[in-house]
Amino acid sequence: MGTKWQRVLLEGLLLCLVFFLVFGPISSLVIWSIAIRWYWPHVLPQEIGLAYWKQALGLQRDWAIAAVSIWDAFGTSILVAVISTALVMTMAIPAGYALARFRVPLKALILLLFLMPKAFPQQPIFVNLLPAFTRWGLAGTVPGVILIHILVCLIFGVWITTSAFKAIPQELEEAARSVGATRWCTFWKVLLPLAAPGLLVSTVFVFITSLTEFTGTFFIGLPFVTTLPMLLYSSSGYNMQFASVIAIVLLIPSLLFMVLIQKVFRPEYMGGITG
Amino acid sequence: MRSGSSAAEARGARGGTEGFLPWFLLLPAVTFILVMYVYPFALSIIRSFTDETGSLSLVNYHKAVSLYGRDILFSIQVAVLGTLISTMLSLALAAYIRLSNSRIARLVNSMSRLGIFLPYVVVAQMMRSFLAPHGLLNVLLANMGIVDIDAPLRLFNIWGLTFGFLWKETPFITFIVLSGLQVIDDTYIEAARSVGAKTRQVVLRILLPMIKPTIAIAVVLTFCTIVSTFTLPYMIVAGTPTTVTVDIAHRVTYFGDYRVASALGVFLYLIVGVMAIYYLRRTVREEVYGY
Repeated sequence: MGTKWQRVLLEGLLLCLVFFLVFGPISSLVIWSIAIRWYWPHVLPQEIGLAYWKQALGLQRDWAIAAVSIWDAFGTSILVAVISTALVMTMAIPAGYALARFRVPLKALILLLFLMPKAFPQQPIFVNLLPAFTRWGLAGTVPGVILIHILVCLIFGVWITTSAFKAIPQELEEAARSVGATRWCTFWKVLLPLAAPGLLVSTVFVFITSLTEFTGTFFIGLPFVTTLPMLLYSSSGYNMQFASVIAIVLLIPSLLFMVLIQKVFRPEYMGGITG
Repeated sequence: MRSGSSAAEARGARGGTEGFLPWFLLLPAVTFILVMYVYPFALSIIRSFTDETGSLSLVNYHKAVSLYGRDILFSIQVAVLGTLISTMLSLALAAYIRLSNSRIARLVNSMSRLGIFLPYVVVAQMMRSFLAPHGLLNVLLANMGIVDIDAPLRLFNIWGLTFGFLWKETPFITFIVLSGLQVIDDTYIEAARSVGAKTRQVVLRILLPMIKPTIAIAVVLTFCTIVSTFTLPYMIVAGTPTTVTVDIAHRVTYFGDYRVASALGVFLYLIVGVMAIYYLRRTVREEVYGY
């Protein structure tokens, strides 16, 4: 009896600790986003309100509050993310199909290409693209940032798409082929509908990766392209409330994604791990 | 182009056209990676070995080591510390979740997953407010009497940085390791228990050894991620020492010095070197040859 209670007590303590470690930093963001006045060393703010939220969402314009509307940056972020995602998936779906279904010559080398950007730091890549981008007139432009986002997202798109296709048993396609369906027809009518949920996961993952991309945009886009992460960074130094509002806006899609895909997400999506 | 079609012939496929089809399908993605990744990758190495006249030289490395030697060590320290602690925590957490079927374990599992997809820029802002001298953590500790109210913990250094990495990477490793553990059949655990194995032995002698390769990959990816991350140290580390990624940004944005920045980049490649190559070899081998 004693050991059972001991166990429950220990588990309870662990629960509290994990709860504090996970939600402590998150609640710090939430509190800051609604704090109007918060003096040290009080645990909670003296005055709370939605002034920074209203200002950020463009519902009010008060010159006393140093926060701008986030809609411009939000629009830029969505524009970049939608175009990048569309282009990434256009390249990733054929590539994933080839890797999942064909015996590709030099496959090891091609896989290596798609894995290297995950293994080695990408920052030196951005730095070394910058002079070329400047020469081609792409630095500080939306098309330049889109190219960088495609680079960051493409490997995830290819991995997740490949494993989505691999998860579908090949017998179904063979059956369709054996009754005379062309390869194109089989892909379009049999494989694509079956793999649709996996492809959707891939698309959403790529979209969120682009929406929250920081390092590449920092080198290629600044100071002319302001996406939400760039706006968060530039306000983070002087305005804790405003930065917290943007951070929460950026946090919501990632949390929603986690909650929605719990069941279908597999470890190989995050590093080509098959083990 | 014999080699292209011979693979198709070898498995008895219809006609030679399919030999080209996979190439055609892969062409856009591969071309993009070659131009936007491989080319600048090669460029970063070449640039690191050239001086301002364009001739071969080690001057950039000399500068990198003499100006940023301390930071190269700092990057390694943070990566080793972060990887070690997050791996230990993750293994314990994953083993606990696998073996306990209480509601608390399930709750811990769902909570531990929340952070997996949070972007580093959000984590950085979170840590910036949570770990600040007058931030929530210090406020709570001061009110509990653990920290002196006039001398709050200073965390915008290696400790805060490591904490930020732990916050993000522990859920990741736990997720990977737990997926591995969940594949292991219960009979192994029951068999070990029936001959008198304690929980500790079940975990250390049975469960973890069975998924060694999975653990290795998770550890390697975490190490590489910590070394590569720019956002978190850039936003929360105050002054020096700081990470090499922050130095690269300084070198480029303040001095427009791409050569020393590239030399620092090569140091990053070297830090992740062995681990990155292990990851690449294992994943490619598994995909191509199936072992």
